[in-house]
Amino acid sequence: MMNIKAFRLVSAIERELLMGDKDHISIECIECCGKNLYVGTNECFIHHFLLEENMSPNGKVTFSATKQRHKYLGFKKPVNELKAASALNRLLVLCDNTIALVNMMNLEPIPSGARIKGAVTFALNENPVSGDPFCVEVCIISVKRRTIQMFMVYEDRVQIVKEVSTPEQPFAVAVDGHFLCLALTTQYIILNYNTGASQDLFPYCSEERQPIVKRIGRQEFLLAGPGGLGMFATVDGISQRAPVHWSENVIGAAICFPYVIALDDEFITVHSMLDQQQKQTLPFKEGHILQDFEGRVIVATSKGVYILVPLPLERQIQDLLASRRVEEALVLAKGARRNIPKEKFQVMYRRILQQAGFIQFAQLQFLEAKELFRSGQLDVRELISLYPFLLPTTSSFTRSHPPLHEYADLNQLTQGDQEKMTKCKRFLMSYLKEVRSTEVANGYKEDIDTALLKLYAEADHESLLDLLVTENSCLLTDSVAWLEKHKKYFALGLLYHYNGQDAAAVQLWVNIVNGEIHDSTRSDLYEYIVDFLTYCLDQELVWKYAEWVLQKSEEVGVQIFTRRPLEEHQKDIFNPDDIINCLKKYPKSIIKYLEHLVVDRRVQKEEYHTHLAILYLEKVLQQKPSANGNCAEVTETQAKLRNLLQKSDLYRVHCLIDKIQGTSLHMESAILHGKLEEHDRALHILVHELKDFSAAKDYCLWSSQSKDPPYRQRLFHMLLSVYLKPGPSDCDLVPAAVDLLNHHATEFDAAQVLQLVPDTWSVQLLAPFLTRAVRESLHTKRVTQAALGLAKAENLLYKHDKIKLKGSPVRLSDKKLCQMCQSPFCEPVFVRYPNGGVVHTHCAANRHMNPNSSSPGNRT
Amino acid sequence: MRKPDVKIVLLGDMNVGKTSLLHRYMERRFQETVSTVGGAFYLKQWRSYNISIWDTAGREQFHGLGSMYCRGAAAIILTYDVNHLQSLTELEDRFLSLTDTANTDCLFAIVGNKIDLIDEVGVKDGAKDLNDPGKTISNCDSARATKRVCLDDAMALYKKILKYRMLDEKEVPAAEKMCFETSAKTGYNVDHVFETLFDMMVPIILRQRAEGPSQTVDITNYKPAKQTQSRCCV
Repeated sequence: MMNIKAFRLVSAIERELLMGDKDHISIECIECCGKNLYVGTNECFIHHFLLEENMSPNGKVTFSATKQRHKYLGFKKPVNELKAASALNRLLVLCDNTIALVNMMNLEPIPSGARIKGAVTFALNENPVSGDPFCVEVCIISVKRRTIQMFMVYEDRVQIVKEVSTPEQPFAVAVDGHFLCLALTTQYIILNYNTGASQDLFPYCSEERQPIVKRIGRQEFLLAGPGGLGMFATVDGISQRAPVHWSENVIGAAICFPYVIALDDEFITVHSMLDQQQKQTLPFKEGHILQDFEGRVIVATSKGVYILVPLPLERQIQDLLASRRVEEALVLAKGARRNIPKEKFQVMYRRILQQAGFIQFAQLQFLEAKELFRSGQLDVRELISLYPFLLPTTSSFTRSHPPLHEYADLNQLTQGDQEKMTKCKRFLMSYLKEVRSTEVANGYKEDIDTALLKLYAEADHESLLDLLVTENSCLLTDSVAWLEKHKKYFALGLLYHYNGQDAAAVQLWVNIVNGEIHDSTRSDLYEYIVDFLTYCLDQELVWKYAEWVLQKSEEVGVQIFTRRPLEEHQKDIFNPDDIINCLKKYPKSIIKYLEHLVVDRRVQKEEYHTHLAILYLEKVLQQKPSANGNCAEVTETQAKLRNLLQKSDLYRVHCLIDKIQGTSLHMESAILHGKLEEHDRALHILVHELKDFSAAKDYCLWSSQSKDPPYRQRLFHMLLSVYLKPGPSDCDLVPAAVDLLNHHATEFDAAQVLQLVPDTWSVQLLAPFLTRAVRESLHTKRVTQAALGLAKAENLLYKHDKIKLKGSPVRLSDKKLCQMCQSPFCEPVFVRYPNGGVVHTHCAANRHMNPNSSSPGNRT
Repeated sequence: MRKPDVKIVLLGDMNVGKTSLLHRYMERRFQETVSTVGGAFYLKQWRSYNISIWDTAGREQFHGLGSMYCRGAAAIILTYDVNHLQSLTELEDRFLSLTDTANTDCLFAIVGNKIDLIDEVGVKDGAKDLNDPGKTISNCDSARATKRVCLDDAMALYKKILKYRMLDEKEVPAAEKMCFETSAKTGYNVDHVFETLFDMMVPIILRQRAEGPSQTVDITNYKPAKQTQSRCCV
């Protein structure tokens, strides 16, 4: 059986003190009120003791009773019941069916002799309805059959309040407010003595077994039920707690929250009201009284009186935790909430939750543990400190005292089981990851993040990098040592970078690329470094590694200059001339860089344009004679060159012409001549040297791109003249001329062309040209006519407006009267309505009254 | 302690599996249980509601407690064993009268448990796959199979209950909806029983909350159900 030690049985009154050597004396009833302990005997005596609670040196509670006095009541009957009414300083004594009032201190009967006669048993109302503090409400089961009586008992008088009859003979009673809980012959009922309403609870044969009716709190009773059940019932007749299971022959019950204590002939049993489980059993023979008095539980045989001393709740909880009964400990702790001041409770409860969490943790019940740690607001370092070496060396953390658990560290907890160890580590990882962004982490961010970094590094976990590239509080010195130990050099670089030590970071990465240290985290580390330097603000660092980067790869390396963030250009952090100087040794790089300047950034500087053009040219010339193998590349560079020559107006044309002279780059030289406005020359090259007519036509188009139409026309005419100019190879040029005319009819002045065209050409030959030319000319004519018509119409509209505005004059004279007020105008000021009516300005102010105008809104 | 919003009570003869049903629902597993002494109760948090579920003792000895447990109940689950017709008969003979103390609008569900013990013969399609071949009773034990209680019998009982409680069939959930067959052992249909009831109880809870803090039924203010259904125009 799962037992806890909730109570200890301590003797209260020594047998000798009570009865000396008179064996025939036996205890009939007990009352305890504060330190006053009263015992009623079978020989009609009342004994009064003073009870002192002492703490023995070993922390155990003991009691000592000192006898005050005793009183003989004068009958030959036993004292049946004793109840103290401390507010009245009275003890109610039931003996020989009479309840007498005696002084609590000297046990003398009161002078008035007030008493209640004819009582079998009685109960005090612990939830009185009268509101009078100097009055107790007493309910008796009368000697009259099936009768209950209610009395008000004052210091020296008693008064009957109510008499109710019951359907069956009552055997036991308890009172709460207006509600009586009664054990009748065959059942328990709730009876409202005020309204007379009754409510059946459940059947019980009171003649067979002694009933128990015990008020346990506001409007709730504990009853002995069938089969040895302890049943709970409220005044509404419902059960809010599950029953507890006693033995069949239970004779008494008491409450000491959260426990229900029951007595039978052999044992005292303790059940928890929270989970209904039996918690403790104390052997106790021949007991016949069990009662609780203001929280003190007293049990008695006919010869001795004992007290059940509850162990402190915390002690009970700790005992439960020590035997790993987490669930029960938590239930007990929660149940204690209302008996302990709030703040004290919270501190205690949190600690219990944390302890429970570690118990679950040690059993690898991580889900449960996490929930307990969370609700117990565990200082996360308590958990981290279980793992060797995880807390930073600088951490000032010391474990709480007394300790929350019994483990020195994880090794002890897992007893070296590697699999368990791994599970624990995985749990900590997920736990720390979860809490690091919550308030749990407040104040311990460094400890948490450093521990997390160590765990990740050790487990080779991918989240290590995520941790380092996002906001974190990893402590540098600790982390550096740990990452070096686990050869996480790339991560170490990230850590350096996060801590502003970019130089160290890059040096480390460069070492990895160079193969001096080994870390395979990134296979593209070189590109990563380039990228890093591209966005690096530290100019010196970029220069320092520029050579290394370029040596590795000219094309990729140059990105550290070409891909720099845009905003940097405006600040001119890197001087392009310095860069060009640096790149001199790297032909591919320098072209890329100049392209970046000229094409991407559109830097309008002659040097760069000329430099780039020359580099292109050199490359083209260098490759041209060598081989036709990599034809594609030649064309590509050549295309770039041509494009540059065409688009840019900045390069030094003469310089390039000099360089290009004598080479076979006709197209390029045509472009260059074009740039010098030597179109004649250019076209001549294109037509006669290159014989590329379509290029010649394109030349006319792009050269005149940003110029006015006459300029373009001039070029086309020039080309036509070149074609038509008699030369050695004129036979080839005629079709070209015809083609040009027929396809670009609109670019020519038809009249001029007709003069140039040789007479020998047929109309058919030039039919498309002529059709186009005529259509164009007609079109122009019509458009012009339409424009003329529109302009005339517009002019007419304006004229119409002008005439309307002039209109006819209004004459004012003495005879002219205002249409509103019918009086003459005295000043040369008036208002004229669109219908011609003339009124005073002040009359017009009231224009809504104008009789002649239906829409008087418009003044003129 | 959280205050329950409503109460459900499980009633039924001993050994039909009330405790196992509740255990299966609350703990998600089947466990051999010992005979319940007196009663037990669970508090189930369902959505934002607290529902107390009372498991009662089926033993004759504790029969007298049933009335008190049922007092103020919003739903009652009458449980029988599909392999024992007697357990269904007992519901009508012994247990129905205990529900007099329940709320006037109390819901009733009739649950036939231990469907897993039924031989495949005569089992409806839906439950076939749940039969554990190792646990089924052999075909030749036909005496056992014939004792199997039909769902129709349960539905007939449901209609009798409505008559007994003087409820209009049209105003309460239909018998088809409120009669279930379950297996606490396999878990078949168990959640369905409880969750169907919970769903139906939500309006009751909301009405109780609207009516004020009193969450217990005062029999002195007893009003017949008919009165509350009066309409504005007569």
